[in-house]
Amino acid sequence: MAPVYLRLRDIVKSYDGRTNAVDGIGIDIERGEFITFLGPSGSGKTTTLMMLAGFEEPNSGSIELDGHNLTRRKPYERNIGVVFQNYALFPHMTAARNVAFPLRMRHFPKDEIASRVDRVLALVGLARFAERHPRELSGGQQQRVALARALVFEPDLLLLDEPLGALDKNLREQMQVEIKRIHREVGITTIYVTHDQTEAMTMSDRVAVFSKGRLEQVAPPLEIYNRPASRFVGEFIGDSNFFEARADPSRPGWIEVAGIGAIRISIGAAPLPASGELDLLVRPERIRMVGTGPAEDLNMVQMTVETIVNYGDSVLAIGTAGGRPLRMRVAGAPPAGLREGAQVTVGWAPQDAYAVVRS
Amino acid sequence: MIPLGLAISVAIFLIAPILIIVPMSFSTSISFAFPPPAYWLGYYRAYFSNPEWLIPTANSFIVAFSTMLVTMLLVLPACFAFVRNRFAGKGLVNQLFLLPLIVPQVVSALGYYGFLSRLRIVGTHLGLIVAHTALAMPVSFLVICAALKGYDRNLERAAMSAGAGPLRTFLWVTLPVLRPGILVAALFAFLQSFNEAVVAIFISGRDAATLPKKMFESIRLESDPIIAVVSSLLTGAVLLGVVIPLLFRRKTGRAT
Repeated sequence: MAPVYLRLRDIVKSYDGRTNAVDGIGIDIERGEFITFLGPSGSGKTTTLMMLAGFEEPNSGSIELDGHNLTRRKPYERNIGVVFQNYALFPHMTAARNVAFPLRMRHFPKDEIASRVDRVLALVGLARFAERHPRELSGGQQQRVALARALVFEPDLLLLDEPLGALDKNLREQMQVEIKRIHREVGITTIYVTHDQTEAMTMSDRVAVFSKGRLEQVAPPLEIYNRPASRFVGEFIGDSNFFEARADPSRPGWIEVAGIGAIRISIGAAPLPASGELDLLVRPERIRMVGTGPAEDLNMVQMTVETIVNYGDSVLAIGTAGGRPLRMRVAGAPPAGLREGAQVTVGWAPQDAYAVVRS
Repeated sequence: MIPLGLAISVAIFLIAPILIIVPMSFSTSISFAFPPPAYWLGYYRAYFSNPEWLIPTANSFIVAFSTMLVTMLLVLPACFAFVRNRFAGKGLVNQLFLLPLIVPQVVSALGYYGFLSRLRIVGTHLGLIVAHTALAMPVSFLVICAALKGYDRNLERAAMSAGAGPLRTFLWVTLPVLRPGILVAALFAFLQSFNEAVVAIFISGRDAATLPKKMFESIRLESDPIIAVVSSLLTGAVLLGVVIPLLFRRKTGRAT
């Protein structure tokens, strides 16, 4: 296992002395890793980032970077690059001077400043815009300048606070690819804060899911998606169907789902408690109409279709099964028989269901 | 059509005094005859060679400039403290700062006369600077607080994470970004003091007499058209004071 580069231990932060915005966060991050802090607003992810940057101080806990204790250090004494959601470019300076600023603060020699600025502006694809002021640049270009400014002094850590929130969808996707490319080229340890799960899923080596000041799960994106640690994580990432269920100790491999009946789950799935309340997760795209696709031993239910949403590249069928809400996603054009108001038999394979202990 | 006609009439009404005074300053007549019988620069020459007018002019500049400096030195820290902190009685402090705007000028003048004479600085430059600073602070306070409220604090965070400590952040980032607001506030303070007549008449005395005071005396005691020269020059100066910030704003664009 790679040595730990950044360690947060038991970080607690409260603003008003009553509730904890951050309630005991601990995480180990490897050198060069791209990790995303994901969660809804108020979950503590931005507060944690602020403490990493030094703009806030934790009430208790520690932050160690490469063996050094950073916890109480001032932000200007940490070697950390920060990219803000609203770019925070100095409006009275050109792009080149903005990028040069950290180097001037560190008293680099003039010619080295010039060559580094040129290099990093080329890295973000803005070599031609060096002499423009921020107001003469588009949102995406401003964000790249902000990224260049955060990277130019080769910091130990790169923090990005919802950097793409102000951009439109296409530009956001473009910038996601750009940021990943730059991360691969530079190899810097990166922490990316966002509430957008698509970004988390597509960009990260690992995702840290925040909720109410605590970490729900820290794992690679696919693991978070297929094997969420809790119902919150399963519902927050991707579309989901959750059913209340109970483990049946007398029938291993089978669980009892309220309203639907006995459901078979894969024996190889994560070990379940022998008894107790469970939440069963079935992803909508894993459900299909019986009769379509390869013949298999499916768990089957009768679904009453209420609404059909056609996205062009896929179809979402919203309805109920056994009185419980059910969503099914089918790629491509709507299959015959899938209509609003219809009663269809749908099913999913045992390995496509995942049970989580009810918390 | 009617609103446009109304607007034009109002504009003419406001500009009319200038349209009368400026030609009169070039008049050859020894009284306030209008329209002037002929034009010459005699009264301009008289103004620029007469210490009775030049000393008050110099006094006005000295007092206005000093007022501007002292006002800015007091208001800048006050605004930072006010905008960036929570404390009990904030509303009251705000009202106190704006008080000089609300109190009638003559009442202020009388008050300053009494107060400053106890400090024995009536009739001195210092006394006038004290009074004018108090009168200039409300507007400067408003202008700079507004600029500060619209200021993005992430800029300071960006500067700090780039390695700039509090002092360097202030000098390299905060001050330059606030510069337009600071300049406007400074210009307000200067013009406010330069144009101020009522308090100056009460407390500037003989040695620190300002231009408005001299003009007031002149029109009471003489009917010398040289006063039209002074008025024209003052109007020109105020125009410059308004136009220069506009040009400056254009140059820096949407700087904040």
